[in-house]
Amino acid sequence: MYEIRFHGRGGQGAVMAAQALAEAAVLEGYYAQAFPYFGAERRGAPVRAFARIDETKISLKSQIYEPDILVILDESLLEIEPVAEGLKSEGSAVINSEKKPEEIDLGVEVQCAAVDATTVALETIKAPIVNTSILGAFAKIQDFVPLESILNAIMNRFGEKLGHQAGVMNTSAAKLAYDRAVVGRTRGTRELVRKKEWLPPWNEIPPGTALAPVNVGGVDIGPGSAWQNFTGTWRTSSPRYIKEKCIRCLRCWFSCPEGCIERQDDDYEKWDYRYCKGCGICAEVCPVQAIEMVRGVMEW
Amino acid sequence: MKVISADHAVAHGVRLARAEVIPAFPITPQTLIVELISEFINDGELDAEFMPVESEHSAMSAAIGASAGGARAFTATSSQGLALMHEMLYAAPQNRLPVVMANVNRSLGAASGIWLEYNDSMPERESGWLQVYIEDNQEALDMIIQAYRIAEDRSVMLPVMVCLDGFVLSHTVERVDLPSQEAVDSFLPKFRPLNVLDPEDPKFINPVTPPEFTMEMRYQLDRAMEGSREIIQKVDGEYAKVTGNRYGGLFDLYNMEGAETALVTLGTATSTAKVVVDRLREKGKKVGLVKLRFVRPFPARELLEATRELKALGVFDRSISFNGFGPVFTEVRNALHSVTYPITNHIAGLGGRDITFEQVMHMFDIVRKSAEGEGTRECTWHGLRGAME
Repeated sequence: MYEIRFHGRGGQGAVMAAQALAEAAVLEGYYAQAFPYFGAERRGAPVRAFARIDETKISLKSQIYEPDILVILDESLLEIEPVAEGLKSEGSAVINSEKKPEEIDLGVEVQCAAVDATTVALETIKAPIVNTSILGAFAKIQDFVPLESILNAIMNRFGEKLGHQAGVMNTSAAKLAYDRAVVGRTRGTRELVRKKEWLPPWNEIPPGTALAPVNVGGVDIGPGSAWQNFTGTWRTSSPRYIKEKCIRCLRCWFSCPEGCIERQDDDYEKWDYRYCKGCGICAEVCPVQAIEMVRGVMEW
Repeated sequence: MKVISADHAVAHGVRLARAEVIPAFPITPQTLIVELISEFINDGELDAEFMPVESEHSAMSAAIGASAGGARAFTATSSQGLALMHEMLYAAPQNRLPVVMANVNRSLGAASGIWLEYNDSMPERESGWLQVYIEDNQEALDMIIQAYRIAEDRSVMLPVMVCLDGFVLSHTVERVDLPSQEAVDSFLPKFRPLNVLDPEDPKFINPVTPPEFTMEMRYQLDRAMEGSREIIQKVDGEYAKVTGNRYGGLFDLYNMEGAETALVTLGTATSTAKVVVDRLREKGKKVGLVKLRFVRPFPARELLEATRELKALGVFDRSISFNGFGPVFTEVRNALHSVTYPITNHIAGLGGRDITFEQVMHMFDIVRKSAEGEGTRECTWHGLRGAME
């Protein structure tokens, strides 16, 4: 049995990727299952999805703790969680990265296909939704589910759900990513450390469900825990403010869903990049193009 | 063949069963079911009335009304939605209205969450609905079709609640084979209601019932529930003839031949437990599994027959009755009151916590210890942080 774990961010399509892979495996004559881990669903938040592929009917229904293959849709996740935790030493990885596998420190030294899936997706489907590009690269790291089945599965799923044209664009994304993917070996020096969490035994949880703002063993919990938990790393593009163009109409300040734009005394603006998710609404509502979205987690 | 989620498998089952009225209100993780059904209706693949009602209380009321009007009715819900239906649930069985509902199990808050627990459907065991728990996506589709056949059987005429695990099934895609419409039509005849609300033929349905009648009506319902056991077994066999898929009816046995210890599971925990049983059998351990399907009617006599030769039995529960045990354990121990071997309870997976291979292995380990006369807890919480008291 092959066990595959997907790591992405809400909105990148990790769940659809896992489902399309399961369908591709079924087209190849395998049994397969795919399922997400559902947390609080938010665009940009780290998400996980799982797929199992086997020659016989799959009974196991638990999550995947020791994957054979890791699929990473967003390289920045390596900095915030132990993505490669449990990855088998003889396993392999697929990663969305501009770097070559040799330049990527995964924490485990494994065979890896690396592709700049974000660029591929922007070129083909005109959006940074990398799920189909990453599946193209997946075809390059293993031989039990060949590219052809992956393309057919993408066509089935995306074509049925989003229309024929979407199917065509997404298969072309997978093909292009397959061609561009570079195979090599990752580095394994990074320490895989779990973020400190508040997980007390049952008798140390205060009775009731009320949570006061407190710090337990260095971990903030309850209201105000966002002081510790910066969510700005979730963004894939960042708003750049061109003050000279600003007419101080305050539309951006009014429209920011995260309250990340600080209105200054003179009505010019300041961005709080610690929490900005890069949704781009500020740039969209600006009538004078005084805000432009730049790829990457940047601040000015 | 399709690679679809259990929610979508349920929707296909409803389409193939030709349900005619579907009143529904969205709630995670059920929503995928009624979304797809509404697409089927919009695309002309299902000739039915979709009623977007304002609450689950209304969804159940409308389903009951539709059934009383002679239509095949379906609805789906989860958790707080089922709790809001509670009052209306009781109207369907005593009025002998064979509504079929999918309940995608989700914990009933507080502690509020969207994840899997059986504390939403287990309390409804007393409502007069048949209740069946599902293991995989194919079974979800097949059971919706079977549910109508059981519910609408002249000797049953009771509603059926098909319970499936939130997320672990509802949002997991697997290979599902769709039976042909012809096969389903040959298996499931047109709904023939007992009484029809018809202005041309006036009747009073659900009048105030004085003490002179209620007891007799309750006994009638209890007998109908009792009699449904036989129909469940028969329908399972007939469905197998049409589709090749057989589920065992009230419960299914896995590796129970020569088993000395066993576990009773329901829902998707069964799947993981099968892998554990396989592993233990490879090592020569005489272990088996009872996959409980129907909790109402509870297969007390049949279960006693199937487990008589054991040396110990464990019972899995995905909810807790707050009296030290889970509800399935209480049912099983009641059914097996005459046996002399130890029966232990195993609570796991509350609030959506993952049930792992190791946890189920530990359950079997405790059952083995109890068989060997070692002191064990009557009830163990698996995956709990902190030592049990």
